Amino acid sequence: MAEVVERQSWEDAEDSIALGVAGPTFTARKLTAAERFARQRELGILAAAVLMFILLSVATDKFLTLNNILNVARQISLLAIVAAGMTYLFVAGELDLSVGSTYAMGVIAFATFSAKWNLNPLLALLATIAFGALVGLVNGLVTTKIGMPSFIVTLGMLSVMRGAALLASNGWPISMNVPGLLFDVLGGNILIANGRVALIGTTLTVPPAAVQALIPVQIFWMLGILLVLGFVLSRTPFGYHVYSTGGNKEAAKRAGINTDRIKIICFMLTGGLVGLAASILVSWLHTGNPNTGVGFELDVIAAVIIGGTNLFGGAGSIFGTFLGAAITGMISNGLVLLGASAFFEPVAKGLIIVAAVALDILIRSRQK
Amino acid sequence: MEQPGAAVATPNGAAGRPILELKGISKFFGHVRALQDVDFDLRDGEVLALVGDNGAGKSTLIKIISGVYQPDRGAIFLDGKQVHFPNPGVARDHGIATVYQDLALVDQRDVAANLFLGREPRKGLVVDRRKMVADSEQVLQDLHIRIPSVFSLVGFLSGGQRQAVAIGRAVAQGGRIIIMDEPTAALGIEQSRHVLDLIHRLKAEGHSVIIISHNLRHVFSVADRITVMRGGHNVGTRLKGETTGEEIVKMIVGAEML
Repeated sequence: MAEVVERQSWEDAEDSIALGVAGPTFTARKLTAAERFARQRELGILAAAVLMFILLSVATDKFLTLNNILNVARQISLLAIVAAGMTYLFVAGELDLSVGSTYAMGVIAFATFSAKWNLNPLLALLATIAFGALVGLVNGLVTTKIGMPSFIVTLGMLSVMRGAALLASNGWPISMNVPGLLFDVLGGNILIANGRVALIGTTLTVPPAAVQALIPVQIFWMLGILLVLGFVLSRTPFGYHVYSTGGNKEAAKRAGINTDRIKIICFMLTGGLVGLAASILVSWLHTGNPNTGVGFELDVIAAVIIGGTNLFGGAGSIFGTFLGAAITGMISNGLVLLGASAFFEPVAKGLIIVAAVALDILIRSRQK
Repeated sequence: MEQPGAAVATPNGAAGRPILELKGISKFFGHVRALQDVDFDLRDGEVLALVGDNGAGKSTLIKIISGVYQPDRGAIFLDGKQVHFPNPGVARDHGIATVYQDLALVDQRDVAANLFLGREPRKGLVVDRRKMVADSEQVLQDLHIRIPSVFSLVGFLSGGQRQAVAIGRAVAQGGRIIIMDEPTAALGIEQSRHVLDLIHRLKAEGHSVIIISHNLRHVFSVADRITVMRGGHNVGTRLKGETTGEEIVKMIVGAEML
């Protein structure tokens, strides 16, 4: 005789291992307090993002326009792409402080490959992504095989890559005005005008009045990458192993999971995404600046943390990171639209990060 | 010397065939002799307690059985056939599952994910979540473990429930032989009782169990036989019904040698 048991409190759970010859069995399929808590966290961030959206729409009529929303989306696209990789790293229990500098070196690399060496655009893109992945490989190998904390390893790489970018470019921006379909696919726009849809570069081919919508292609890159990476992290065996590696590395190892390999893959994934983002940036701006990305790593980490992924590993989600990036974007955008000084932005971001983590800790301690 | 695999009579007359035998096992760590010429056997369907003071060699012996260490001398026989365990994975493949003292659970993940840690069932490229949940409920049901939900995060469970999940994982791995290192050490009286009941349940389901424990009361409550280690030697094995706590303690500290 089976009896479905529902547990509403942890005190009940405490004394609930009942054993006996023909005892009743258990497992309610309803969400437990723990599951509700995890859902609450994500819902909390979603609520915060929606609330911010509503407040900004009300505070200024310049916010809720198609152009402005697309603008915000474009501004967070590259951030979100790299933050997706950083999410994997956080979940695996590591982090990468070098992404901003690798971004700069990737930008110089792509601009050099396509404009100075005149490589085939696809080759230039693949080489830049491969470069990023290689940097990730080095970060991963030093962290796992030598056993240094990733904080230190990537801090060193941060300086090395920044220096490399300046050296490779002599400190000067590299102009990139090579025409090509791939560049439009990376950094161009989808133009909707006169009822027709077309892929264009960054120069408008119709009079501005005829434009119904100008959608940056970067947004599609962001959505596509987030969907795929989100799916892989939450539904595949590899994703499960990333969570296990970050949650309890020793347990994962004993269960037969190659935790070094998992971490190295996460570093390489992040590096490759940085290479892709750098290529998109150059294709969009038509220039490669060695001073790109200063402080970018902090923005990426902020997005991941605001999104609910904590630094201790084993928990987090791509959707949360997307929300974190969206909140970051809305803060910047909101401050500009409301006429506040641009200098408020880092203050606002810093306060929100601390508030997000504090809230997380408070919710956790109340649950226990 | 007995042929490996020969049946040995148990007190109630039924043949308790040794399914695991270690013969002449020695293990050195540099100059330290952790195990010296140890013979050991586990019979089919029994609960065997391995006791001894700290440093007696219990952990080392267990780690040799579970494939973490390899013996420097001696041989291991499973069902009468000699076997080698170069790593824990091979031992696991032979049906030897170990529950460590630290449980090796991932607190941030739910019960189902922990029960199938590293062995998640697949459907194409993704994890077969439905099967994993169904199989998890089956394991918990078979062992009569009450946990609010397989979706509970393991970190929120009580000590006894966590121990039960760790044991459940060993069973789910197909562990014919289940080794437990100090399963009740961190638990209170009530929860210890539950875990001991779970061990009885394992025996009823046909598993053979080795438990390491310092708690002789718990040992006498579950074990069929008790093997005592001291200074890297197997000092002797007693049937529970034919010995006393006092005799076991004497064997542990060496008083019977005086």
